[in-house]
Amino acid sequence: MIVAERFIYEIFQPIAAYYLLDARRHPEGMNPADEAVLQERIALAKAGNAEAWGELYREYAPAIFRFCRRAMPTREDAEDATMDIFVKVRQKLSQYDATRPFSAWLYTVAANHCWDLLRRRKLRQDLETGEVENMPLEHPDPGQLEQLVQQRTNQEIRRAMDKLPSRSRMALVLRYYSDMSYDDIAATLGVRRTFVGVVLLRARHQLREILEGKGGANLATGGAS
Amino acid sequence: MIHFDEMACLLYLEGQLDSQRAQELAAHLEECAECRNLLHALQSETTLLSAALTEDNEAIPARILGERARRLPTWIWTLAFGAFAASAYWVWVDGLSPLFDPLSNAGFGGTDLFTMIVFNGAFWEGWSDMIDAIQIGTLILLAIVAIVWIRRRLRRSVAIAVVMSALLLAVALPQQASAADVRRGRTIIIPAGEVIHNDLVAVGPSVRIDGTVEGDVIAFTRYLTVTGHVTGDVIAFAGVTLIDGTVDGNVRVASQSIMLQGEIGKNLSTFSRSLNVSSKANVEGGAIALAADGDLDGKIQHDFLGLIGSGEIEGLIGGEAWIRGGSLTVTSTGEIRGPATFEGPQAPEIESGAKLASPFRTEITQGIRRNRRTAARSMVRALFGYVAAVAVGIFLLLVFPGFFRATLREADSIGLPLGVGAVALITGAFVWIMGLLLLFIGVGAGVAAAMAFAPVLYVAQVFVGAWLGNKIMGAAPADSSAALSAWIARMAVGLLILRVVGFIPVLGGFVWLAVLLWGTGAVLLGFYRLSRVEIVPLPA
Repeated sequence: MIVAERFIYEIFQPIAAYYLLDARRHPEGMNPADEAVLQERIALAKAGNAEAWGELYREYAPAIFRFCRRAMPTREDAEDATMDIFVKVRQKLSQYDATRPFSAWLYTVAANHCWDLLRRRKLRQDLETGEVENMPLEHPDPGQLEQLVQQRTNQEIRRAMDKLPSRSRMALVLRYYSDMSYDDIAATLGVRRTFVGVVLLRARHQLREILEGKGGANLATGGAS
Repeated sequence: MIHFDEMACLLYLEGQLDSQRAQELAAHLEECAECRNLLHALQSETTLLSAALTEDNEAIPARILGERARRLPTWIWTLAFGAFAASAYWVWVDGLSPLFDPLSNAGFGGTDLFTMIVFNGAFWEGWSDMIDAIQIGTLILLAIVAIVWIRRRLRRSVAIAVVMSALLLAVALPQQASAADVRRGRTIIIPAGEVIHNDLVAVGPSVRIDGTVEGDVIAFTRYLTVTGHVTGDVIAFAGVTLIDGTVDGNVRVASQSIMLQGEIGKNLSTFSRSLNVSSKANVEGGAIALAADGDLDGKIQHDFLGLIGSGEIEGLIGGEAWIRGGSLTVTSTGEIRGPATFEGPQAPEIESGAKLASPFRTEITQGIRRNRRTAARSMVRALFGYVAAVAVGIFLLLVFPGFFRATLREADSIGLPLGVGAVALITGAFVWIMGLLLLFIGVGAGVAAAMAFAPVLYVAQVFVGAWLGNKIMGAAPADSSAALSAWIARMAVGLLILRVVGFIPVLGGFVWLAVLLWGTGAVLLGFYRLSRVEIVPLPA
């Protein structure tokens, strides 16, 4: 009984969730035939074929827009960022290394662009949120955490995420939407690799606080209590 | 027992622990329920985060989906603007600039170059060709729109096949489907005795109606002659118009010269260089006339309203008369049965024997008024204009912030809004001319549509000003409460610069033209974008 439960919770569920969600994050999917079509399109687009570029754009623009929508504070910012990202992608397409998955490369470009934008604004915002790097994180009570997680809907999570500071939100989006590696996240956010876990954990703590309804005030004075 | 901390658990879950620590943690988990629970809670949190983030709960904006259409044709718009600039320059040098002085001095007379170009030029010889070209152009445009529209939905070959067959069908369809009798040719003659039981639309260098038309006559021609009988209205855009027959309805004519000798059952509206209502003519209704020279020898049974450079009344005006112009003479045979008003630089000349119901009420208008305006007064006016423009900008920013930002974003890509503005202005001018015609024909809606363009033209400067301010002072913050005052400040600075530059004699004119085109284009695009932000079904 316990074995079965553990199997479902710890192995089956995460794997199923991973593959289900992955199909959405990476439109090219796992099919080798699709992969060949994609690579051909990329090659054509590199050579300046507008039609092939259009196909690429149409296929990936929605995913990149959704990424921007999660990373940027407003919908308009997300729209603008999407546009600019594809202008950049088109210029940088020759630099794309075909051995890497295309969507991963695309997300890297998108993440760098969004983070650049956010960082430029951050100078102002960080004065409001303050430096929270050195605050110790309280060890959570597993039961309470489980309860908190079970009670929340996707919408509540999304709304809470909009209240997070830029870096925390960006880190969560990069990890749990774009499925980026710790190395890529470190490169994008400009932090040491060993620090990525800290950023993610801190972001989770901040999110929990917002969800528990004691977010705003605490965040402003320095993150976890 | 020593528990692992949350950090280690998270890194373990994410596969980021080195293998030795991972093994230690796994071994610890076997015996520690609390750490197992923590790990499970963290895993649930990860799942929830992933699910929340990857859930598609928003529409993709049309702006994103339609990106390709937006990026590609920018150079086309720039080209359109170039063509517009060249043609505008040509029109100005060749046509408009000599027009203004005489027009403002003489009120309405002496615009020979203008009338020469508009009514006498080669333009008229080519009317029928023009109409054909417009029709072909419209068809091509429709086809392109159809292709673009269908291509979004179907694959390429299918789309082309559908459009081609539709075009073929359109060409193959018999032409009689239209409601009116449409005639074209070098000379169109309805001979005496022939009766057309329908409206007649005649396009060609010469149109002559000796027979009977039981309906309206609509003519685009150089020479229009009506000696027969028209039971409906006569609506014409012509070089020379002669109406010698009987028209039961209204006569609405824009023409270089108009000669009326027959019977008109209803009203008369004219826009012409010279208007001659001969002594044989009889208008049962009223008349509205714009003419450089007007000779009213015949009878107008009701009111007369005229803007006439030099006028002479030898006949009858049955109702009230209101005339504005350069000079007016009422001869001994003239008769006005209602009250009469004249506005002009000098009093009308009334010959003895003229029958007036009451003496002419005369308002002397000053020919040279401008010189009296002092510099100070014009400065005050300029200041007032500036403040008004800023106020309109603030109003827009407060009441329609979404529209304001959308428009400003459009203004940022300079070529596209300039081109759109140029095209809009050309079509706008066309609509204006049509509106003027419609005024004559009597439909106010056309004029109203043309008028709706005016606020857009005015608002144009606000957005160009805001854009300029943004460029000079750096982009305003996108959100936060401080943004509003930052936006207002940028707009005010930009508008001030525009206004000051606008004072420079020649350059200022060009700057205003550019501002007008650019801002108009941006506003129209802004409207368009806003109207397109809709809920788009998500692609699977």
